[in-house]
Amino acid sequence: MSQPPTHDLDVRPLLAAGEQPFDRILETVSALPPGAALRLIAPFEPAPLYNVLARKGFDHRTSQRGDGDWEVLFTPKAHPPPEAGLAPGSNPEAMFWPEPAQSLDLTGLAPPEPMVRILGALEEMVPGAVLFALLEREPMFLFPELSARGHEWAGNHAADRASYRILIRRGHGE
Amino acid sequence: MPGKHLARWTLSWFASALSFLLAALALAVPFAPAPGAWLEGRGLALVHLLALGWLSQMMIGASLQFLPVLLARPLPWPWLSPLSLALTGVGTILLALGFIGLEGGGTGLLALAPLPLGAGLGLFLLMAGGTLLPAGGWRDDAGRPVLLALAALILTFASGGGMALAGTGGPVAISPEALPFHVGLGVAGWLGLATAGVSYRLFAMFLIAPDGGGRLRRITAGAALCLTGLLTLGLGLAGHWPAPGWLLPAAMICASVTAGLYIADIAQVWRSRRRARPEVNMRMTRPALAFLALAALLAPVAAIDGRFAEAAVFAALVGWLSGLTLAQMVKITSFLTWIQVFSPRIGKQKLPQVHELVDDAACRRWLGLWFAGAALGTAALLAEHAQGLRLAFAVLLVAALGIAREVRAIRRLAHLSFAARPPVLPPLFLPQLRMDPT
Ligand code: HEM
Repeated sequence: MSQPPTHDLDVRPLLAAGEQPFDRILETVSALPPGAALRLIAPFEPAPLYNVLARKGFDHRTSQRGDGDWEVLFTPKAHPPPEAGLAPGSNPEAMFWPEPAQSLDLTGLAPPEPMVRILGALEEMVPGAVLFALLEREPMFLFPELSARGHEWAGNHAADRASYRILIRRGHGE
Repeated sequence: MPGKHLARWTLSWFASALSFLLAALALAVPFAPAPGAWLEGRGLALVHLLALGWLSQMMIGASLQFLPVLLARPLPWPWLSPLSLALTGVGTILLALGFIGLEGGGTGLLALAPLPLGAGLGLFLLMAGGTLLPAGGWRDDAGRPVLLALAALILTFASGGGMALAGTGGPVAISPEALPFHVGLGVAGWLGLATAGVSYRLFAMFLIAPDGGGRLRRITAGAALCLTGLLTLGLGLAGHWPAPGWLLPAAMICASVTAGLYIADIAQVWRSRRRARPEVNMRMTRPALAFLALAALLAPVAAIDGRFAEAAVFAALVGWLSGLTLAQMVKITSFLTWIQVFSPRIGKQKLPQVHELVDDAACRRWLGLWFAGAALGTAALLAEHAQGLRLAFAVLLVAALGIAREVRAIRRLAHLSFAARPPVLPPLFLPQLRMDPT
């Protein structure tokens, strides 16, 4: 079984610069593609985060590194709480897909522009490659077109419902 | 299969609604009653051709298209849609004929009309409620007004049907004292709140503005709840107990407060937009909202002095609701047409943009003429000027014909160069049997 894609976030430079890393961590988590994990590196054990991220549907595994700093791997729970669940029609195996080859921030675009950009980008990609996109709302007009073209997808709303994240794996069609 | 969200019958609803609008206006030019005489048969027929045939059918078609998109939840039993369309259409025609029969010729059709009308509206309620309730619509800022609107639709139908049967003396007959509450529930409750609820999301999308919401929307929903509650109370009392004199004015003040809060909310969405120059549908929404403000000012006065009631209802139905619907219809039709024709080709060839399907200048001109006609009609009703009212309907008819022609041009992709047009065009307003050959 392959590992879910993992994103790294090292907050040591932030702390060294005297900044609070909390917001940055939450931002990163909100923008994670569905099914992805987060590896966090910090100079101390970030215990207060465990509860916060558990509520967002993540388990954690903590280890102390050789250099004395801490490394925590947050992985999505097998049975995440409903609001972190995937939208109906999503491919449940998306967490085993390869790392996205491309990611698009499509917030602030009026429909149908997000759909045009996504389908355009997919045409340029090789079969099996994965695209990640951040959108303002669920792209209901995109889904029929994805199925018609043989692409697979998995998507869900961010916890605050202000954005929608989608992973699309290019199909093997023409 | 998840993902089939392009409601197939939307454009059929629009086409039917537009036919009702054109027919009502064409009849109004020669037959419109003079100001003050709108409670006679012809006037009632015209009002209901507009309120049920045109505005309600547009609202239903647009809701069946956008509720699933906005709530990210498929419509249950979408195949009920054409049935509902046929039944509401037939029911509206029978109701109009029944009203005309009041002027001589018997009221048989008036007693018959509530059957198909109730069945058609009931099927719509089943589909809309079946989307909104499982999605927890009452927790949603846009869902709350729409749910209140659906409740108001039930009460509008019940009170209208009851009054239609009043002549027959049957057990379900409702006294004509219910009339102002029927009008309030129909215009402000059903049509007004449904339009407001759907517009929150659509306007944010068209203006590229944050989907605000929050406190102001909850307060607005509270005022709307107060409005529907008072109107329902008035309906319940009608014919049994004399309604207290303050009831109708209080309800109309609630209506004005709801309208004011809603306008303030939309103004905020407008200011926070990221689209520097809004498209024609949104620019022409501003005069429509000005008519809402006018109707909101007239409503409390109308509750005390009935002479103002016709002008308030006209400003709301023709200026606000019809103006807004016509403006958005152009945009929605161009968007759906673009998706239907071009989405299978995205990424494979160079495509025109959605706005290239629309002739902005022509739309602005016809919509501008519509609002001029609406202003003239409101003024004529206030001044009790019969000829002015006829002239207003003639202006409105010309404007509606112009917009209908534009909608047809959009469906035919007439504004695109020949090379940019696909070899086969989709049907004008009937659903395509197969969406695409793949
Ligand atoms: C969108 C829904 C509706 C709206 C906006 C609406 C609006 C109105 C208005 C404005 C009037 C007063 C007309 C005037 O002053 O000339 C009226 C009267 C009336 N409506 Fe409706 N109506 C709606 C639905 C219905 C339905 C579904 C029925 C019947 C099944 C109905 C039956 C009646 C009757 C019988 C009257 C006349 C009452 C009387 O004069 O005693 N209405 N309606």
